[in-house]
Amino acid sequence: MKFLSIVQLTFRESLAKKTFIAFLIISTIINLLFLLALNLDIVDGMQSSISIFGEQTDQIINLQEIIYGVEGFVAVMLFTVGIFMALFATSGLIPTLLQPGFIDLFISKPVSRFEILSGRYLGAVAIVALNIFYLVIGTWLIMSLKTGIWNFGFLLGGALIVLTFAILFALMTLLGIVSKSGPLSLMITYLILFFSPLLKQRDSIYALLSSKIYGQIIDGLYYFLPKTSELGSITQRLTRGLEINTWTPLWTSLAFGIFIFLLSAYIFQRKNF
Amino acid sequence: MYAVETFELSKFYSHGRIKALQDFSLQVEKGKIFSLLGPNGAGKTTLIKVLIGIVHQTSGHAKLLNQSINKVSVHKKIGYLAENHRFPEFLSAHQILHYYGKMAGLGPSQLKKQIPALLKTVNLHRWENVKIRKYSKGMMQRLGLAHALLNEPELIFLDEPTDGIDPVGRRQIRDLLKSLRDEGVTIFVNSHLLSEVERMSDEVAILKQGKLIQRGTVEDFISIKEQYQIRLDSADTMQNICNDMKVPIKRENDLFTVSVQDDQQLNRLIDRLRQSKTMILAVIPKKITLEDYFIDIIEDKKGESD
Repeated sequence: MKFLSIVQLTFRESLAKKTFIAFLIISTIINLLFLLALNLDIVDGMQSSISIFGEQTDQIINLQEIIYGVEGFVAVMLFTVGIFMALFATSGLIPTLLQPGFIDLFISKPVSRFEILSGRYLGAVAIVALNIFYLVIGTWLIMSLKTGIWNFGFLLGGALIVLTFAILFALMTLLGIVSKSGPLSLMITYLILFFSPLLKQRDSIYALLSSKIYGQIIDGLYYFLPKTSELGSITQRLTRGLEINTWTPLWTSLAFGIFIFLLSAYIFQRKNF
Repeated sequence: MYAVETFELSKFYSHGRIKALQDFSLQVEKGKIFSLLGPNGAGKTTLIKVLIGIVHQTSGHAKLLNQSINKVSVHKKIGYLAENHRFPEFLSAHQILHYYGKMAGLGPSQLKKQIPALLKTVNLHRWENVKIRKYSKGMMQRLGLAHALLNEPELIFLDEPTDGIDPVGRRQIRDLLKSLRDEGVTIFVNSHLLSEVERMSDEVAILKQGKLIQRGTVEDFISIKEQYQIRLDSADTMQNICNDMKVPIKRENDLFTVSVQDDQQLNRLIDRLRQSKTMILAVIPKKITLEDYFIDIIEDKKGESD
């Protein structure tokens, strides 16, 4: 009850920010677009014609390809633009919590500091999960009901997008506690997010390095930091119903998220406000 | 039984360069209004923050209601009004009390009963559904007070409780605190408003540079021993009697201030006045204001070595 109220308050605080409302409106428009504008004429499980806004295409396309294409596009957009926006919208939550006069009210309650931080963290993840699943489940239901093809991989992809956000938000939580600055923690998290594809290509970088030690540093960073690029690929493969070659990037990124969150909790526990 | 006990509590900042609290030991009895005074930076807010757990002490330890301050469970019995508290501005007073009440461990039925009653007590019931960003400073302060009383605490910490509140509101808060005290609640107040402290406190402590320098009842601080003000209907004989008794005297219209050696000498003086058929209208122990006393102490005119 006490812990839940912290989650609820954070959820309510996030909802008060216009970004999430805008995101919900955009998601609704996209879902309405799929619902009303896309017309699939199904014959014996195959699509015989497709029209968007009444304009018919003559090309014969496999129905499953359409589903995977549409849902794959939504997943990629959510993984890139969605996470980018979600990080932006939640960047102020931890620094706001630490403001003098605000944090005092939480600490004076019979809840531990770990519960306060966890409640705040889960509140942020919950609002982002709501936004992502609103679009994912909406699109999934519309596409599945229209075609009869139920792509559960898309739902798993949605879960992975939320998990990726949770991992990155753990980093933003740590940076927020240390710096008390929303913009700074956001910038560093973006840096890590966009640094990931570069680290994934580290084999191509080795030749450009002047010393072996730099290679070892890059290797160390690759194994330690969250592998958002690989997580993006896994999301895409899940959505398209393809086999996943390795889950290792997910486990190592999760381990990073848990370690960083526990470190945040340790620092938060010792801090004076 | 003590509500607050501190044992050589110290809090240093900047690797010991700033000593916010130094070996601070204090006991506050249950069911009293205890006020902590001190100039800015004396360590008053730091002390409350250490007791609540917002700041960690450098050394020493403390107990609230006989439990270590390190135990979060003690907060169930504690209310706290922070100086410059901040509530989420997008919520109304009712919503704020609802969320923070749940955080304090109150159930739905308790919240349903407590919230309207408290909003009425602090005179915010007509504003309960208005977003607090429209509130004045005084209204915010009253909301903070309602928040501090939500869990029906046994011990309440109030950091500048009447800050920004008009005189009528201040009196209402004072009366509310006194009635809570009468119900057995301990109230620990930090305030700059010395006239408020003087009117409501049972006991006062003065803090300077992180050290406790004076402690006592308000009466102890503001009474000047063996000085009395005497008001008479006629001033004719007073000067002669005092000269005769070698009692120093000062006159301001019909009010005489005398410095007697002891109570017996005061009684002899009264007897002489009565024998001379002078009507005594009042005999008042001479007092200074708490503000005068506080300024004397802080400016080192007296007290630090006491």
